[in-house]
Amino acid sequence: MVAETETAPRRPAGLTAWLAQERVFRLVPFVMVEGMFLLLLALPFVLTIYISLLRWRANRPFEQAYVQGFVNYARVIGEPEFWWSLGRTFYFAGAAVTLELVLGFSLAMLVHQAFRGRRLYITIFLIPMMVVPVVVGYNFSMIYVDSGPLNQILAPILTPFGVTARIRWLSHPIAAQWAIILADVWQWTSLTFLIFLSGFAALPPELINAARVMGASRWQIFRRIQLPLLKPAIIIAVVIRTMEALKLFDQAVLLTFGGPGDSTQTIAFFLWRQVWQFNKYGFGAAASVLLLLLFSSLIYGGIYLLVRERALLQQPEGRG
Amino acid sequence: MKQVRLLAPIALCLALACTPAQAQTLPGDTVEERAINGARAYVEDHQLQNPSLTILLISLFRNAMPAYAQQWEELTGIKVNFIEYGYTDIPSKIMAEAIAKTGQYDVFNHFPYVVPDAAGAGVLMPLDDYTERGRPDFSGIEPALRAQQRYNGKQYFFLLDGDHIILVLRKDILDLPGAKEEFQAQHGWEPGCPETMAQWEQLASFFHTKKGDTRWGKTFDQDLYGAMGYRAINFSYRHFPAYFGGLLFDQDMNPLVNTPHGVEAIRAFSSIVQYMPPDIQGWGTPQIYPFWASGQAFSVMSFPSIVGYGNKNPQTQIVGQQLSCIVPGVMRDGQLVRRSPQAAGTGYMVNRHGKHPELAYYFLQWFTGPQQGDVAIADPQGFWDPMRRSNLDNPAIVEKFGSQFIETTMANTKYAISLLMLEGNYEYFNVLDKNLAQVMQGNLTPEQAAARIERGWNSVTDDVGRDYQIESWRNGVASGAYLDTFQ
Repeated sequence: MVAETETAPRRPAGLTAWLAQERVFRLVPFVMVEGMFLLLLALPFVLTIYISLLRWRANRPFEQAYVQGFVNYARVIGEPEFWWSLGRTFYFAGAAVTLELVLGFSLAMLVHQAFRGRRLYITIFLIPMMVVPVVVGYNFSMIYVDSGPLNQILAPILTPFGVTARIRWLSHPIAAQWAIILADVWQWTSLTFLIFLSGFAALPPELINAARVMGASRWQIFRRIQLPLLKPAIIIAVVIRTMEALKLFDQAVLLTFGGPGDSTQTIAFFLWRQVWQFNKYGFGAAASVLLLLLFSSLIYGGIYLLVRERALLQQPEGRG
Repeated sequence: MKQVRLLAPIALCLALACTPAQAQTLPGDTVEERAINGARAYVEDHQLQNPSLTILLISLFRNAMPAYAQQWEELTGIKVNFIEYGYTDIPSKIMAEAIAKTGQYDVFNHFPYVVPDAAGAGVLMPLDDYTERGRPDFSGIEPALRAQQRYNGKQYFFLLDGDHIILVLRKDILDLPGAKEEFQAQHGWEPGCPETMAQWEQLASFFHTKKGDTRWGKTFDQDLYGAMGYRAINFSYRHFPAYFGGLLFDQDMNPLVNTPHGVEAIRAFSSIVQYMPPDIQGWGTPQIYPFWASGQAFSVMSFPSIVGYGNKNPQTQIVGQQLSCIVPGVMRDGQLVRRSPQAAGTGYMVNRHGKHPELAYYFLQWFTGPQQGDVAIADPQGFWDPMRRSNLDNPAIVEKFGSQFIETTMANTKYAISLLMLEGNYEYFNVLDKNLAQVMQGNLTPEQAAARIERGWNSVTDDVGRDYQIESWRNGVASGAYLDTFQ
């Protein structure tokens, strides 16, 4: 007993001892998380709100800025270009995300079953999202050139129908919008594909086998079993891609610089222009805060749906 | 009384000796020598160890600038470092520096129109005290180009680039047998450099040819577009003043665009687009230069460097076939008015928050000086265009650009004008560009666009501060930067 007492580890002293106390140690993660929250989120957020209340264009020294209340908010709300850019962004996001979901789902359906070369296809389908957006923008700007490869590929298809194959991908307002949507679809279908592939992989095989034994057709299995079980994956894909698509910036800058006119100016590009080109920092901050509120409520709606779906799936059979 | 007479010269000498160092002129016979001497003295006075300067550089100049940096280091012992960005990114870097005041850059390289916002934000060093000592020489530079170096009466900018727009025609097409006669019969004047924008459009219309057509004994194996010009967002505003041919505002900053003359300018700017490549509204320099060099257009209005590109690019099909022209004009009150906007115009500014603004200034004075500047303009790797009268007689510059081009662009400098030198100018430009695009797309009439531009410009003026803008505008007009004066 004596020997045991002598060899027992010494109690730590000083700061270590203080940290080792149960009541302190359990607070460490909390303090770190809260600290990071304050530093990385709360502080810039408060600063943004403060700037949004200022009359400040950066073409005057900051010392001359002064608080003017909610004037910037009123100006943002009264600015038609803000609403046009926002509407356009929803249009881009809606079209792009829809296409990405359909294509990603179809590709995942095709490759989730075992067949020769499956891994190769999966790898190929995943490559686009690993490419740096700037490179994607540059490549597509080459592809979309008036006399470029895309129009040359389309020529034999369109010409027999009397349609000119010289589509002005980057200079016609509508074509330019679709040029951006298609570039986004090319890059981010990979992500929806990945989400759906993992969704398919997580489907319980016994349920599908049981349905098969009971004589369900492939369509019935898909419609009645696979699709309902994939709902959480679908919502995840919708939420993640919508969040990203609403921030669409790179392609709009690299392919068209918001033009022709402002037909491809997204809300992110509008903000960038107001702040970094026009130096309207107060106005830009107010627009950012309004967008944050808008997008947060949308994302909250998406997350609410996701949680509700999960809860429904976890309910025991026969209930609800 | 006699004592007073004796003491007076002594007092004068003492007064001169006590004059602050700022007012003393630096030793040296040439601008460049004074800059070198000034830099050396500064390093010595401040006992600087391993002095260096950092330039926020337009990436286009990354190949040419290192040679001059090395030369400056050999002359003064001051190392020059570069941080490179595309020219579209640099204004936001300058404005960020105005807020952050990091001092990481000593010199900014960009275009004159960046000065108003940057000077207003206080990030640019007024250089007048330094110029008093260094005595730079701006002789041989046309007054309007010279005026672009100043804003609200202070010197902020050292220009080294005659980037005022020019018109270039295809000589080989003009010279096709029977072409000139046919044109003259149709339009009543011998085709060549046009006097007016309307005449340019006549040329564009006449020479616009479809692929496969045979005209004047030549079968065209590719489309020949009658004209090319900058019509994309971020570019239209650089060309529009040539069509407007006058001040864009009156003396109280009321826009003059919503007038019969302004509407006509919008119409002319948009009308000629029908003879341009269909993608032109999405094109910038990376598309326009190679397209021109490929021989698929009859004429182009562009930065002057397109002529060098057309002659020297390895892929070019038009070597020796370019006819440079003075910018065409517009008729105003029965008078022909030519205006050639300085569409870019590389130059250099000093960061007020840099560690050694005075030292940075000496580099500017040296590099843009009459001798050293001409060396840069003659540099085959550089993109500095002729702008001094001395360029006309400089064999290296003549060799690089060709005498016909140099004579034309130097004649064109007489009509060179500044883009808007006003705070918030990017916003004015954007309002103009967007509405011009709408007209080119057929969504707005020129009248509707003029009204919208007027509203948009007034809104910018009010937002920046009308009184301040009026003062800056009047200063700018009085400086001669726009050539025109108030009616």
